[in-house]
Amino acid sequence: MTTTALTPPSIAQAPSRVLAVLRLHFASRYILIGAPWAIMAIIFVVNLAVWAIIFASVSSPTDRAEVTAGLQWSGASLYLFVWMSIVAVQSIMVSFPFALGYGVTRRDYYLGTSLTYVLLSVGYATVLTLLAGIEQATDGWGLGGQMFNAVYFAGDTLVERFFVFLALLLFFYFSGALGATVYLRWKQPGLLAAFAALGVLIVGLCALVTISQSWQRVFEFATSVGTGGLVALLLIPTAIAALTGYGALRRATPKN
Amino acid sequence: MDESRPIFVQIAEQIENDIVAGTLAEETQVPSTNEFAAFYRINPATAGKGVNLLVDSGVLYKKRGIGMFVASGSRARLLEKRRKTFAEEFIAPLLGEAASLDISSDELLELIQTHAQRMGPQKVGEK
Amino acid sequence: MTSVIEVAHLTKRFGDLAAIDDVSFRVEENAITGLLGRNGAGKTTLMQLLTGQQFATSGTIDVFGANPVENADVLQNVCFIKESQKYPDEFRPKHVFRSAPWFFPHWDAEFAEQLVEDFRVPANRPIKKLSRGQVSSVGVIVGLASRAPLTFFDEPYLGLDAVARQIFYDRLLQDYAEHPRTILLSTHLIDEVANLLEHVLVIDDGRVVIDEEADVLRGSATTIAGTRAAVAAFSEGREVLHAETIGGLSSVTLEALSPSDRADAAAAGLELAPVSLQQLIIRKTTLTAPATESEMEHSA
Repeated sequence: MTTTALTPPSIAQAPSRVLAVLRLHFASRYILIGAPWAIMAIIFVVNLAVWAIIFASVSSPTDRAEVTAGLQWSGASLYLFVWMSIVAVQSIMVSFPFALGYGVTRRDYYLGTSLTYVLLSVGYATVLTLLAGIEQATDGWGLGGQMFNAVYFAGDTLVERFFVFLALLLFFYFSGALGATVYLRWKQPGLLAAFAALGVLIVGLCALVTISQSWQRVFEFATSVGTGGLVALLLIPTAIAALTGYGALRRATPKN
Repeated sequence: MDESRPIFVQIAEQIENDIVAGTLAEETQVPSTNEFAAFYRINPATAGKGVNLLVDSGVLYKKRGIGMFVASGSRARLLEKRRKTFAEEFIAPLLGEAASLDISSDELLELIQTHAQRMGPQKVGEK
Repeated sequence: MTSVIEVAHLTKRFGDLAAIDDVSFRVEENAITGLLGRNGAGKTTLMQLLTGQQFATSGTIDVFGANPVENADVLQNVCFIKESQKYPDEFRPKHVFRSAPWFFPHWDAEFAEQLVEDFRVPANRPIKKLSRGQVSSVGVIVGLASRAPLTFFDEPYLGLDAVARQIFYDRLLQDYAEHPRTILLSTHLIDEVANLLEHVLVIDDGRVVIDEEADVLRGSATTIAGTRAAVAAFSEGREVLHAETIGGLSSVTLEALSPSDRADAAAAGLELAPVSLQQLIIRKTTLTAPATESEMEHSA
């Protein structure tokens, strides 16, 4: 007569399991926190040097004002968002098979990883907001420079700016994560198909807008929504990416 | 450790050899199953089977909570058992080999006597 | 017996290929079972199915009485160590041993430390810079120190040299004796692990061809050798697993001989030779392998 051994009593409950994944990600602290901010610091210093040079050769106040206005378009700090996407992809590609090897369920892994990057985004957004605040307070670091207050980061108050930063970071993270999970599930063919579909969607939408000659209305809409609207608009695709990412991961298997 | 007989049988035989040779005295403790397993680098279940063979045949007995011990009188019993199979195990092959070499029974007896004298009296337990 | 794993009519298809084909078996609790087979036979796929890493096409899998897929309660008690484990960047062995306990509730840190010394793993060097053997050692240490009630070793010791492999077998036996648990060991170095195994599962082309106690399997065949005539006479009416001839000598592997049969063989001047587990398994699974010259001489 054979009997079946029953599962030994459950040891770690869901929250602690998700936290374990979090800890696993933070074990690579250098990549997650150290490297990006080190690079950010370098970019900042380089920008400082550039501003110093510019303002040394421009003396009249009107000219200076023009330069400052022009710097609004500085894309220097955009790098951080793109980085978020790239690191998200790389980290998920390696940590997913590794976590599976540690017996982590895909659900716990996705929750833990998402939680990790949400926390990181909050942290980054906070630092960026602080830097933006200092930049404003010191009148562009005493040199009239602009890096963290670039026009892309709408929002009149620092609080609004914080939410814009956060929304952008989350959007970039979950987009990157979605790419990674699509690859993990369907490998290269899947990724190409996804990009193709996305391309078709974007081109299709643009064509639609062009044909109906609604670009003017699109711009008016964009400027009228304000910061709150912008954040909300970013959150929708972010949420979609997050859910789709989980859907893709649920049947992903480690590479053979 | 050859494989012509099951491993657990070989372990049982090795323990019996030690008892016969006197290395394992009666009423002394025998190494545990795990110790045998580690020593011979085999699965503990296999080692256990060998030990159980000897428990079943009365050579070893179990003291609860302590371990396996050599039963009193087991050496004598083993000697007797081996005497009975001595002829089959050693004499028959000897005669067979002698026959294939064309050594007559008389020559064989002479050889045995010469060698016995050379080796001198053999006492069990002494090397 | 209590079974920890119960598999019924399990099939896994990759496109047209059935990597696992209608497989059914049970794995007994607290036994060391060998999962043996040729390369590509399906050993890794099977282990991935048992640990929920791969999804079955059809059939059922019960590990600790439940389906292991996405089942954290079951998976926390399972440890699956495979050969080519990729670690996150920047990871050093010490990070692995520090993070393992978060996922393996039965982890023994002292035991892990001892193993690090035994295997001479440089705990502080980046894993990227370690030799293949050292990386394999890390995996093996995790497998042993996890003390998981169900532990799978999927040929993780291929990168280990002979000395390290012996250390692994010794530590495995020692720890298993003191902390019994269910262990599944897949390998094609059969003879090396033969004595460690209590049970043997052989997979060939996605099917289970042998599911037997190791001792029973070992006792299921004997080789006799001698003159052609004597061997032929003795083999009369018995099942021949394998035959080889050279000149006037013949060597034949027969199915189980009773003690009296063995005595008869000895009396007939035949030599009795052991059949190792490896030879047995090779014989029983080499269905499509090319015949050797001597075999061809003797077939028919």
